[in-house]
Amino acid sequence: MPPSGTLTVVSTKDRSVVLASLPVVAARHPWRWVGVAAVLVLAAQFVHGLVTNPAWDWPTFARYFTAQSILTAVGTTILLTVLGTVLGFALGIVVAVLRLSKSPFLQAVGWTYVWAFRSIPLIVQLLFWFNISYLYQRLSLGIPFGPEFVSFETVELISPMGAAVLGLALHQAAYAAEIVRSGVISVDRGQLEAAAALGIPKFRQFRRIVLPQAMRAILPNAANEVISLFKGTSVVSVMAIGELFYQVQVIYGRNARVVALLMVATVWYIILTTLLSIGQHYVERYFARGDRR
Amino acid sequence: MIEVLGVHKSFGSNEVLRGVSLDVAAGEVVVVLGPSGSGKSTLLRTINHLEKVDRGFVSIDGDLVGYRQHKGKLHELKEREILKQRRHIGFVFQNFNLFPHLTALENIAEVAPLADARQFLARVGLADKEDSYPRQLSGGQQQRVAIARALATRPKVVLFDEPTSALDPELVGEVLDVLRDLARTGTTMIVVTHEIGFAREVADRIVFIDQGVIVEQGTPAEVLDHPAHERTRAFLSKVL
Ligand SMILES: Nc1ncnc2c1ncn2[C@@H]1O[C@H](COP(=O)(O)OP(=O)(O)OP(=O)(O)O)[C@@H](O)[C@H]1O
Ligand SMILES: [Mg+2]
Repeated sequence: MPPSGTLTVVSTKDRSVVLASLPVVAARHPWRWVGVAAVLVLAAQFVHGLVTNPAWDWPTFARYFTAQSILTAVGTTILLTVLGTVLGFALGIVVAVLRLSKSPFLQAVGWTYVWAFRSIPLIVQLLFWFNISYLYQRLSLGIPFGPEFVSFETVELISPMGAAVLGLALHQAAYAAEIVRSGVISVDRGQLEAAAALGIPKFRQFRRIVLPQAMRAILPNAANEVISLFKGTSVVSVMAIGELFYQVQVIYGRNARVVALLMVATVWYIILTTLLSIGQHYVERYFARGDRR
Repeated sequence: MIEVLGVHKSFGSNEVLRGVSLDVAAGEVVVVLGPSGSGKSTLLRTINHLEKVDRGFVSIDGDLVGYRQHKGKLHELKEREILKQRRHIGFVFQNFNLFPHLTALENIAEVAPLADARQFLARVGLADKEDSYPRQLSGGQQQRVAIARALATRPKVVLFDEPTSALDPELVGEVLDVLRDLARTGTTMIVVTHEIGFAREVADRIVFIDQGVIVEQGTPAEVLDHPAHERTRAFLSKVL
């Protein structure tokens, strides 16, 4: 037995046997547990408050949460979101393509669109479309500065709902254009060169090669936009359209149960945003398919 | 088959190609050698019009690349027509440029019917990898898929820009095997490479480029063993 403090020469084999026989102690993180405990206490307090404080007025909440008028309003909110998203992104892709084109004129058109619609506050734009019939009583098709072929009363052509969809879509398109453009310029140049070298037609290059890869960068931002549009539809309540937020205002205007009804709207917004986030997860996974090993 | 006539190309004030002329016969294998920055990639890229020439002409099988001759004038072709022309010119990139979101088979099927795509994949020995995404393949396998994809439009000529330079040494061989096989079966090709051994064995002709001009060309024996020019000798002494 060598005295302690002197070196013992052990062969590698013996050494690995010795190491393998030692028990392993996992690294401990005591402060994590302190953090978890603190968060749990706060959460419990919050839930306790929600349940026991009568001011939250849960019976009223329960009465209205699935009331027909609320469900209809939720439907209108979803419809506005879907139309705003679909039309907004469709126009946004066109504007992005303009901004990415080789023609300086088209670039300028795209840039101006984005500049204009990002500059005007959504609520101002909505009120403008809502009131457009004061500005132009009649809309007509014809030769510019020449004879007209057909004409419409503006009020008939643009209903409040139409004005809301138009406003949301035009506003959304400006943001969608920038999101799409950022995705497209993130695609490696070599991909475009390979597609060009293979003689793949231009539109097909965009649809089959560029866009699917750009989607990786587009999706998280697009999901943000859709969710913010979804809640942003509450802005159209200024136009007296029966979407969710307008509807709860109408109801609490009658019965003064403000908190309970705001909670009705809030919980619906949370539920639908959650569904959108889950959808986002799966769509992102689909577009990451070449990335999995 | 390929005719390059007095091609000039500058990037800003940097004249990269200074009057390059080159004729490649059908079935011929031409290997292009030259130091870094001498204009080898630029030459290949002007042949399939990825770069527009400043002066000079390129034609494939008698057709001008990028222009149409009509009533004593040259009309620049529209992008759509240039894309059609490119289907006659295969191009293999140094860094493969496979489409990462498509499987090996889908990469090829993007430019050819599915049954053909399978055949081309089998031809480079990767029939069992058709459902793999590029990221799941080794560098050598990726380059072989890229070669199959370049062949899938049934081009009249195939251009290779340093097809093995991005590969680990042990993977170079499998790609060169594919090139050898193509050469043997009569594919017209121009290969830019630093693999001198491969050039000696496969090339019908070696072209040495330096500073944007063709310094000399000839059979591998002539250029590699008895170079006529000082610059060729200097280059070969570094790479051999
Ligand atoms: N798109 C471009 N813009 C500006 N300069 C360029 C461009 N492409 C190439 N060049 C320049 O042209 C010259 C020739 O480049 P090229 O890529 O043809 O050389 P190479 O012979 O292929 O070299 P290597 O062996 O390193 O690939 C270089 O000086 C390079 O910097
Ligand atoms: Mg190069």
